[in-house]
Amino acid sequence: MDDHDVQIRNHIYRRFVELGRAPTFTELKDELGDGVEPALRRLHDAHALVLESDRTEIRMANPFSAVPTPYRVEAGGGSWYGNCAWDAFGIPAALHVEGHVSSACPDCGEPIEIDICDERPVPDEHVFHVAVPAAHWWDDIVFT
Amino acid sequence: MNLFRSEEHVGRWLDQNGYEAGETISAGKLAKLAHAWWSDRLAPGWQPHTRDQNQAILDRHGLTGSFWQLP
Repeated sequence: MDDHDVQIRNHIYRRFVELGRAPTFTELKDELGDGVEPALRRLHDAHALVLESDRTEIRMANPFSAVPTPYRVEAGGGSWYGNCAWDAFGIPAALHVEGHVSSACPDCGEPIEIDICDERPVPDEHVFHVAVPAAHWWDDIVFT
Repeated sequence: MNLFRSEEHVGRWLDQNGYEAGETISAGKLAKLAHAWWSDRLAPGWQPHTRDQNQAILDRHGLTGSFWQLP
């Protein structure tokens, strides 16, 4: 991953924020040229983003998810999905705004609604469980 | 990496799905951790975190021990 790859990565993140979804491979090729395809693969291999199994479309530009998840986030007038609870809390942090996370308890299905204000959850009464040890987070990042 | 209503709900979900327990922290700690981990993600001068930078973030939030050791 060289400086040019980082520029492509930064463009993808900007577009993700602007669009409220991942830019498609076709859009990226139009905007950045044919060199985007190998750059995407290098960024994927460097864990700077995650591609779908077809190795062209984006699955994750962490903390943003390209596919719907149980973690919906509203922040700064836009809305996105986080890949997990950690990422959902990370979207307002990345945008440097307050936000709101909507989810549901995986055990009982009870809705979970949390505001993120000044790096604090409101209400602060829920817990966050990490199933996979940190050494193995990238073994299967979609499961993690 | 999920949010639950309480540790009791975590335990029940683990039992029902046959998963081994991992680590549980408060949503308050998660919010601080998420800010430290993600707040530079949209910075124009973003550079990838090194493994040691990420480990330092975990350590700073009291997430130490073998479970939290990055590869």
